[in-house]
Parts: sequence; C-alpha cells; structure tokens
Amino acid sequence: MRQREFWLGGALVAGVLASALAIGAPAQAADDVTIGLVVPLSPPGDPAGGQLIRRGAEMGVDAVNAAGGILGGRKIKLSVQDSQGRPEAGVAAYRRLVSEDKAVAVTGFFHSSVALAVNEVAKEMGVPTLSLQASAADITAKHYDIAFRTHAVDPVRVGAWMELIKKKNFKRISIIAETTDYGIGLSEEVIKQNKDEKAGLDIQKITFDRAVTDLTPQLLQIKAFKPDLVINIGVGQPADLIIDQATTIGLFPATPMLFSYDAPVRPQYWQLHPKNGDSMYFVAYYSPKSVLSEIGQTFSKAYQEKYKEDPVYGGLNGYGAIMILTQAMQAAGSTDPKALIKALEAGSFKSWPGNPVTFPRAEGVYWHNGSAPVLILQYTKPMQDWKEAEVVVEYAPPAAK
Amino acid sequence: MYSTELFVQTFISGVMIGVLYALMALGITFIYSIMRMINWAMGEFYMVGSYLQYMLVVGLLGTDLWWLAIPLSMAGVFAMGVVVQWGLLKPVFTRPPESRDDYATVVTLALLLFLRSVATGLAGPYQFTPGSNLPVIMVGPMPLAGARVAAFLFALAALGLFYVLLRYTWYGLALRATAQSRVGVQTAGIDVLAVDRIAFGIGVALAGLAGALLAPVFLVYPTNGLITTMKGFEIVVIGGLGSIPGALVAGLLLGLIESFGAAFIDSSYQNVYGFILVLAVLALRPSGLFGERGREA
Repeated sequence: MRQREFWLGGALVAGVLASALAIGAPAQAADDVTIGLVVPLSPPGDPAGGQLIRRGAEMGVDAVNAAGGILGGRKIKLSVQDSQGRPEAGVAAYRRLVSEDKAVAVTGFFHSSVALAVNEVAKEMGVPTLSLQASAADITAKHYDIAFRTHAVDPVRVGAWMELIKKKNFKRISIIAETTDYGIGLSEEVIKQNKDEKAGLDIQKITFDRAVTDLTPQLLQIKAFKPDLVINIGVGQPADLIIDQATTIGLFPATPMLFSYDAPVRPQYWQLHPKNGDSMYFVAYYSPKSVLSEIGQTFSKAYQEKYKEDPVYGGLNGYGAIMILTQAMQAAGSTDPKALIKALEAGSFKSWPGNPVTFPRAEGVYWHNGSAPVLILQYTKPMQDWKEAEVVVEYAPPAAK
Repeated sequence: MYSTELFVQTFISGVMIGVLYALMALGITFIYSIMRMINWAMGEFYMVGSYLQYMLVVGLLGTDLWWLAIPLSMAGVFAMGVVVQWGLLKPVFTRPPESRDDYATVVTLALLLFLRSVATGLAGPYQFTPGSNLPVIMVGPMPLAGARVAAFLFALAALGLFYVLLRYTWYGLALRATAQSRVGVQTAGIDVLAVDRIAFGIGVALAGLAGALLAPVFLVYPTNGLITTMKGFEIVVIGGLGSIPGALVAGLLLGLIESFGAAFIDSSYQNVYGFILVLAVLALRPSGLFGERGREA
C-alpha cells in the first residue's frame, strides 16, 4: 500500500512539475518556422566571417516575414548558435537547434571541420544542412541525403589557384596550411591536381596548429625554400598573423601570397594590414562585375542602407540561404525535413547570383552542390577598395554530371 | 638540408618568444607564491591589457606614443586587479581556509567567463591591432618586427624591475616573507590581506603588460588570453609553481623547444613539444625544475 502511495505521489509531483515547466517555457507562436544558423561568432573560429553570414540571414528572415511569411502566413524565426569554429561546439549547436528549437533546416557552416562533423549527426537526425562557406570535398562527396551546399568545393577552388599559377608561370609553391579539414583538404587537393595535370610544380607543404600564434619558425622554412608563391591556408586570426609575420621576415610581399578565401574583401582587412596588405591575391566569389539577380540587387541595396558598406559574399550567401530554404518549403508545401530535402533536390531556386541555384544528385563532390564561380582578385595599391581590385582569374566550375 | 642561418634564426626566434612566455607566466607563479591560489582568469587580464593598449593608441595617444600607453595599460590592469581582489577574493581569505582553493577556482573561472563575455559584447568578436610605427630590426641574420623587439626589451626591463622590487624594497621583503609564511608575517604586524591586494594587482598587471606589449604582434580579440593561460601554466609546471627564476628559465626552454621542434621536426606539433617537456619534467622532477616541496602552515 505504502509503495503504491509512494508511486502515486511521485507521479503527481512529476505531473505538477511538468505542467509548471510547460507554463514557464518561453512562448513561441505555434506556427513559427525555425531555421537554425550555425556560424563562428568567436575565435578560434573566424567570427567576422560568421557575423557577415548572420547579417545576411537575419535580413533574409526579415524580408520573408515582411512579405507575409510562408505557407499561408507562417513567420520564419532564425535561431543562431556559435560554433567557435570547433567541430564539437558545432555538433552541440546542431543538436540543440533540432531537439530544442525544432529547427526544420540548419544553415551557416563557415568551417569545413564543423560542417563535416555536423553532417555525421545530421544524417541520423534527418534535418538538412545547407553549408554556405565550407569547402571540404567530403561535405557533399559522401552523398548524404541531408547535406547541401552553396559554395565552391575544394577542387573548384584549387582549380582557380592552378589557373593563377599557370597564368603567372609560378613553379615553386609553398603551402602553409592549418591542421583542419579545411587546410589539409585544400593542400592535398593542390598536390593532387599538380600530379593529375602533370603541372610539374615543386611544392612545399607546411602545416600548423590553429592555436599557435608565433608562426615564425614555419615561415623561416618557407623563406629558405625560396618559393614563387605562398598559399596562405589559414582561417581568421592565423591567416592574419601569417601576413604580418611573413612581412617581418621579408618573405611577403617580395614573394607573392595567395589568401585562400575572401577575408580580404572585409573592411577589417585594411584595419589589420594598412601597410602590408597590398599585392595580395585572394579568392572571391563575387565582384561588382558579377551579375546579381533581382533578389541579389534588393539585398545589396538594403544592406548598404543598413550597414553603410557594400555586401560581400558571406552576407549574400546568408541571405540567399534563407531565400532558398523558404522557396523549398513553399514548393514542398510543408516544413517536414524529408519533404524539404525532396524539394531542394527537385527545385530550381532564386538566390543572389544571376543564374538559379540547383542541388542535383550529381557525381562526386558536386552532389547537392550549387557552386558559385570562383574569382581571384589582387590588390594593386594600399587601402584599395576591394571592388577596384584587379580580377586576375575567373574560373567557372565544371558542369555537374 | 638545413642551413646554419636557419638554425640561428630559429634560436633567436625561440629566445624572443621565450622571454615573452616568461612574462606571461610570471604573474601566475607570483600570485600563487603569495596567495597560494591559482588565478584561472590570468589570460583575461592579458586580454584586458591588450584592449586597453589598443584603445589608448587608437583613440587617444596615437601610434607614435605607443610606449606611453604601455604603463597606462599596465596601471589600468593593476587597478582592476586591486578591485577584483578586494571585491571577489578577499572575502574568500577572511574565512577558514578549508575550501579556499575551491572558492578561488570558482571565482576566477567565473571572472574568466565574465570578462570574455564583456569584451565580446562591447567590441564584438573581431580582431584589432593598435599598429606599430617601429621598423623591422635585424638581430644577427634574423629580421624582427620592431614591436616584437620592443616587447622583448620591455619584458626584460619589467623582469629586472620586478626583481629589484622584490629584492631591495621593504614591500618586496613583505611579499617574500608572506610567500614563506602567511602566519609568520602576521605575527610581525604585516596586514597579509593588504599584501594580497598588492600582490594580486602586480601579478595581473604583469599579464596586462604582456597583453599591451603583444597587442600589435599577436592582435587583440576576446579570447587572445587563452594561449597565454595555456603557455603560462605549462611554464609554471616546468619551472616550478611559485618559482620566479623557474618561470624565466622555463619560458626560454618552452620558446626554444617549440621553435626548434616546428622548424626541424614537424610544425604541425608545435604545441605538442611543450607538453612533452611538461610530461618529462613531471616524470623526473614533479615539483618542477626550480620548485620546492610545498610546506603548508
């Protein structure tokens, strides 16, 4: 009898507690649709990169909601999580978004290592990911149903680098790469394409831990190698330290340097490198010469009004991601992740580039990949506006099969 | 394959960074020697020092007066340390000592998170640099950033001043006496809590000095103290907790082993070489190279 009373009492207390928790839970409109955003907002990740994507995504959500929402007036809610550029933090963020915030899709993903780790969990939990600036081949090459991307994959990006190397007749190449999926993936792709294309380049590969701040020993080795080009495959703070420390030892700008992504288009670049930032080659995915869609033009205008600066690729892609996902939800007539995945695979979506974006079940790394063209720009004078940087290479990704 | 020039350059690079490492570790070991507690927020005082330097140079003094910003940043961090000791740590030391370490750990860890969040909230997660007008300086065959050479010289001067303060002043005598026996100095009429306050202020000011000196070299951002904390504790373990000469020697050793390991073995494992040294020291001499077995009063 006592035992029965004990269990009954326990059940009663549990019921009261559950009710209290339900009442105390933050109010969320029942028909809101949550989209998750996982981006680096603090080091060791690249917080500036994360912030730019976040700005674009927030403006995308505002634009969709101002236009009446989706699926008969349901509002979009953006839930933002900081990955810190660390895979474990990214995985925890994805789990939180799906389990607690009931996100129907998760986008963002600046660092490849984060996207790769999250996709391993996402394929079990079933909520699709849309990577915006993570380039490692395996993000889409594993052919997971949940993995989508609107960014240039490693082979495409390295294809553009090889164009530059060929054009400038560089023969000795030093690669300084962080020991992450991003750094290792890109450096191995350079070695692979050199072999496959029989380019005959003499390549030196130096890797470093992202937590290291004094990269002088690595740069001294590179200087001793006497390269024609240094490829800087760091992300965020290490990449900036490489520029300064290479300048100090006389390596750069005497030897040209290629920055592996589009950080030099950000306003912070010249704040950090006012005296030694010119002559830098850098990858970009958008220049004022690029054709923008109507969506892209609307965003560009609104962004300039709001932030008093021109939008860059991260912001455009963040905005585009919200447009793509909401169009897919409309096409699916549902926010169910499985229906969303089918709609993404079957549809053609308007985003910021001139051409529509598709995610075909294509071969190899081009699976579910709507890749933008890759440009290589070069600053030709100090404090130059990135829009005036010289376009040295324009590289279109090969057609997906 | 490797030239003598590369060897010499690597040696110079190791010595330069080693002295700066020593400065980072000195505050940790000094505070421990006096207060018998570990300040887990040491890296955040480094971070505050770097932000103060940035704000003073960019917003007030200009790049040419960077040297004036250094003592001002250090003084700002000292004042902050005194307030933190008075407001957060003193209450811990006025209670019975049983759980003192636990309280101090919780308080300084909370402070770490608080300061980092405040920096992110106020300045955003971005990187900044106060810039430097100093030219590149040749040290033998090694070109070095003027800011790094200045940081090295300032660090040496600070270490020298710190030694003079400890060795030849009445306050230094009180600090050394407190390090030997907190109970003993009270019998001599010394206010041990006041000594704690000054010691904590000096300890964190050393970290703030390192932050200010290295702001143009390693950049300014909310988590830049993380590396400082990690290296600082490695040095403290190698040199011996509470040993000031140990911090200097261990800082140099760590700088050299990291530089040579990265240049001549494998640069991917630059941070690992220091941990191997830590493990070796712990195995052969658990109290550190210059450490002594603890004696609790």
